[in-house]
Amino acid sequence: MASVITAEHLTKWYGPRLALDGVSLAVDRGEIMGLLGPNGSGKTTVLRILAGYLRPSAGTARIAGLDVVNDSLAARRRVGYVPEDAPLYAGMTVREFLNFMGRLKGLTGPGLTAAVDAASERLALDGVRRTPIGTLSRGYRQRVAIAQALLGNPDLLILDEPTNGLDPRQIIEMRGLIRALSGERTILVTSHILGEIEQVADQVAILVQGRLLGVHALRSPAEGVRLRLRIRGDRPSVLARLHGVPGVSHVEVEDEARAPLVTYLVLAETASVAESLAVAVTGGGFGLLVLEPAPLELESLFLRLTGATLERR
Amino acid sequence: MRNFPTLLWKEQKALFSSPLAYAIVAVYLLLMGFTFTLMLFLNRTAELVRVFFQAAILFLLIVPVVTMRQLAEERRSGTLELLLTSPVREIEIVLAKFAASLSVVVLMLILTTSYAVVLGVYAEPDWGPIYSGFIGLLLLAAALSAIGLLVSGLTSSQLVAAVVSMGVGILLWMIDSVGYLLPDPFDTFVTSLSLVAHFTPFATGAVFLSDLGFFLTVILACVLLSVRTLARR
Repeated sequence: MASVITAEHLTKWYGPRLALDGVSLAVDRGEIMGLLGPNGSGKTTVLRILAGYLRPSAGTARIAGLDVVNDSLAARRRVGYVPEDAPLYAGMTVREFLNFMGRLKGLTGPGLTAAVDAASERLALDGVRRTPIGTLSRGYRQRVAIAQALLGNPDLLILDEPTNGLDPRQIIEMRGLIRALSGERTILVTSHILGEIEQVADQVAILVQGRLLGVHALRSPAEGVRLRLRIRGDRPSVLARLHGVPGVSHVEVEDEARAPLVTYLVLAETASVAESLAVAVTGGGFGLLVLEPAPLELESLFLRLTGATLERR
Repeated sequence: MRNFPTLLWKEQKALFSSPLAYAIVAVYLLLMGFTFTLMLFLNRTAELVRVFFQAAILFLLIVPVVTMRQLAEERRSGTLELLLTSPVREIEIVLAKFAASLSVVVLMLILTTSYAVVLGVYAEPDWGPIYSGFIGLLLLAAALSAIGLLVSGLTSSQLVAAVVSMGVGILLWMIDSVGYLLPDPFDTFVTSLSLVAHFTPFATGAVFLSDLGFFLTVILACVLLSVRTLARR
């Protein structure tokens, strides 16, 4: 399958600081690639180079075969880009803004109208088309930013921290939206929260201090879910109790500094095991203070990539 | 330049949908009306030379306020990233911003022609210096707009852009005073940079190609440097 993104040895210096150190990446058509890393790891720099905003100090990047430096305008036509925090023109209405961005992408006349209508419908913006962008909520602003990125039917959609600043309901909606947009086009999405990426991406690339540590296919849902429990009680007895619950594949102690109040991490086959765990703990006479999902922290994956033991194993 | 009309529409909408442009035009007209009336009743001569100089001084203060937001605000709000990742050339963005800034000044100049109309109705003015004065004001305003745009592209603070542009404009206006203190050939060079030295002939009815060339050079240099500023990223 042809790669929509082909980046080879991308390097970027900001003055004396090395922001990207020889990053190579290939993403096929229709794939969702998650780019993960802590703040300052170079995620946004990669996106900005691919979107044509920054020029690499060394290395090459191609979008659908077009060099982002030498064929910059043509490459930019193939990319829909949503920068972090969705910067928009607050003084324009949603319709004015989408028409403006559509024209910049070469759309005119009925084609422009059709593209704006389709993007508005797709992002559920029909009710706010005459509303000034400055008065919209954070969630709507993010939708407007994605709608403009979809104009011109780009091969590649780049989303920089699309869930930043959204409330939990909006985050869930955004995940659904990203999933819905996949299949038709390649999506590159960044986040510093693995849990976010885990739910939408097909594979994940991890950047630390400008270096690509690796590209990994994300685990399938069949591998299970992680749960965190804070339980008051004798540790060996609690461990035995937890191991005895059907559907639990692994249990480990996360924190016992405040014993007998101990935090455990449990890997379960399905989310419904949580109910059985609660019954088992309370039924055993232990105090259950916390039972919550424990998405895999980025730090844990870093540890695995750098050779350390992954706690999930 | 396919995107120029679209970008110009966006810039003019941003300028004219804010109360700032109207406040600037209103203050300008108030001060100019005061000066015109005063000059007319004090001198009782049908000429606009002093009005042109008054307008030039006001442009030194007003044009940086018009241009301050152009690139600085786009940079601060992050929309510059949106523009520069669209299939748009940097020169189109810069020219649209320059033309939009100039359109505010042109509006002010069009309204200023009412003074010439008053003179034409009630007296018989020498039209030559009036025509050349307006051409000089347009060139001066265009040069100040280009300087303001360049400075606005170097910062993300509108205030800094306005203050620095004003400083550069005022310095170039009166730099000929410094020229008199310098030895040859530096005196000629510094004096030739002076805005007032190149504007005065226009205001008094003398049009020289060298003055026209000076203003066009400043405009072209600042526009190209603004493009370079955007392209270097």
